Amino acid sequence: MEWTELSFWTLVLAGAVRLATPVVLAALGEAIVERSGTINLGIEGMMLAGAFAGAWGAAQAGWWVGVLLALAVGAGLGVVMAGAVLWGGANQLVVGLALTLLAAGLSTYLFQLWQPSGQDAARVPLAPGVDVPGLSSIPVIGEALFDQSIFTYLAVALVVVVAWGLRRTGAGLAVRATGDDPVRAALRGVAPRRVRTLSLAAGGALAALGGCTLTVGYLGSFTDNVTGGRGYVALAAVIIGRWSPMGAMAGAGVFALFDSLALQAKGGDSPIPIEIFTALPYVMTLLVLVAVARGSAAPRALGRPLES
Amino acid sequence: MTASLRAFVPAALSLLAALVVGALLLAASGSNPIDGYDALVQGAFGTRYDIGETLVRALPLAIVALGVAPALRAGVFTVGAEGQVILGAMAATAVVLALGDGAPSIVLIAAGALAGAIAGGVWALLPALLRARMNVNEILSTLLLNYVAAALLAWALRTWLKTSESVPSPRSDNLPLGAAMPNLLEGTRLHWGIVLVPIGAIALAWWLRTPRALAFDIFDTHRALARRAGVSAGRAIVSTMLVAGAMAGIAGWLKVTSVDGALYSSVAGGLGFTGILVALLGGLRPLGIVLAAILFGALSAGADGLQIDTGTPASLATVLQGLLLLAAALGFEARRRRVGKAVA
Repeated sequence: MEWTELSFWTLVLAGAVRLATPVVLAALGEAIVERSGTINLGIEGMMLAGAFAGAWGAAQAGWWVGVLLALAVGAGLGVVMAGAVLWGGANQLVVGLALTLLAAGLSTYLFQLWQPSGQDAARVPLAPGVDVPGLSSIPVIGEALFDQSIFTYLAVALVVVVAWGLRRTGAGLAVRATGDDPVRAALRGVAPRRVRTLSLAAGGALAALGGCTLTVGYLGSFTDNVTGGRGYVALAAVIIGRWSPMGAMAGAGVFALFDSLALQAKGGDSPIPIEIFTALPYVMTLLVLVAVARGSAAPRALGRPLES
Repeated sequence: MTASLRAFVPAALSLLAALVVGALLLAASGSNPIDGYDALVQGAFGTRYDIGETLVRALPLAIVALGVAPALRAGVFTVGAEGQVILGAMAATAVVLALGDGAPSIVLIAAGALAGAIAGGVWALLPALLRARMNVNEILSTLLLNYVAAALLAWALRTWLKTSESVPSPRSDNLPLGAAMPNLLEGTRLHWGIVLVPIGAIALAWWLRTPRALAFDIFDTHRALARRAGVSAGRAIVSTMLVAGAMAGIAGWLKVTSVDGALYSSVAGGLGFTGILVALLGGLRPLGIVLAAILFGALSAGADGLQIDTGTPASLATVLQGLLLLAAALGFEARRRRVGKAVA
């Protein structure tokens, strides 16, 4: 298929929306976590844990059980991280890396116990898609906007809700205040530790939901390291998006657009080495990161431990 | 005294928790936990070959960890060792293959090591300059570049480094035997490259005693003070990241020439990432790093033995490594904060 054809771009855009969905969910969670002042390097592991828990749960009792299980596991990992960092006084970057390693090991281990024979033998029931009749056959944007998994529509709805919640509600104000100046927030009656813990639980749940989107939304199976660095891409998306939910969605879109383009381009005979397409989404994410790096809009207390 | 004892409690508890979780996982796989732990220890230290395996796995972890320690001490959180190992291994392979069988062993070894160190350093230079000049977060740039390095390796193994033999999985031609470090312990894969570990550890210990190391230690927290001690932000970031990259490149060179014998797509296999965790587990100190590397090497070799003996998946090692790191983070990070407060 040629890139001059309209159908090529229909596929690229539809694929981009599909590929963006897991990253958007994880990035939305990370935006909440970072707005409250914590950097969650465990996000890759939380996504992976969600991908596994979702697949296992779906295979046991249907797709929505998988989703619920993934949410619970993700929130649980977020609470573990909060316990270690906020109550245990441990370094948040180290704990994040440890959790990622732990989740990678656990998901591989449990998957091998569950499916001793094959690496991707398990087929799990997929979450349903939504296909708006008529609208979904509009050229170029139809499939991208009106024929997607329910996870995509859930992600968009959550972005809108979180964006509104962070800006307009008391809880959102508490999160932002804790991320900017926990000492003053505490003077105004906000409990920074509790706010950061709840944010980590929400961020973990959303990261796991993103991982679950991969297995229960699209693949119908789990493979080792199925997330392939998408958690880290979500971290980049938050910075690219200036720590706002809408921005994080746009940042995830940058990665997904080039990821989808690469997938489509790999199919055709092109004189360009396919590895360039594999690297392209990561390179483009890095380039955008460079472009937005000057003049930080980061929460002022981001990454700093609480004074106890 | 009581403060350090109190700091020891969470570490001991989390270590205990790690062992309990490991036992539960062993039980879940259908084996008796005590037999499982016994098989793990036997797999790591049971025979001469097992000890060789433990050390040969600890070796690159220690080299990566010793290299990344100064950067982490300065608060430069570089996580790009995985990509730097890949680049080092690729460059060493290319140079060694270009020199060919005819070259004397000493030339092949020196050229391979140099190529590995330079390539690893160059791959670190890009994120270092981005951080120093343009304030691009080094955690993310190094993580993203790891995936670019993997794509570069896949491309090289499909095109210019591809072997002429027909093989099921992509790899390079076999490297000349002279390019490998000589074997150290007969009947094992352990090679003389291990002498680089004590050398690196002593170099780090010596460096930690220099005034510059102290200035780097406070660089992250007291930037103005560090500047008065003569440390510029740019130089601290670039120099520490270059050292980390060069050491990771050397680890890649040793892996490809002295263990694998040809370049495979799995050459790094997580060792760059794990090496950084070894540095953290070792408390960013030379002796701690060497011990942590041996521990992680033993877990990895032991879990392979466990899988052969009992069929329990070897990924148990990864779980235990993650739990140990969590335990360590709780233990001495908390202690450091308490000590820091006592000083301040």
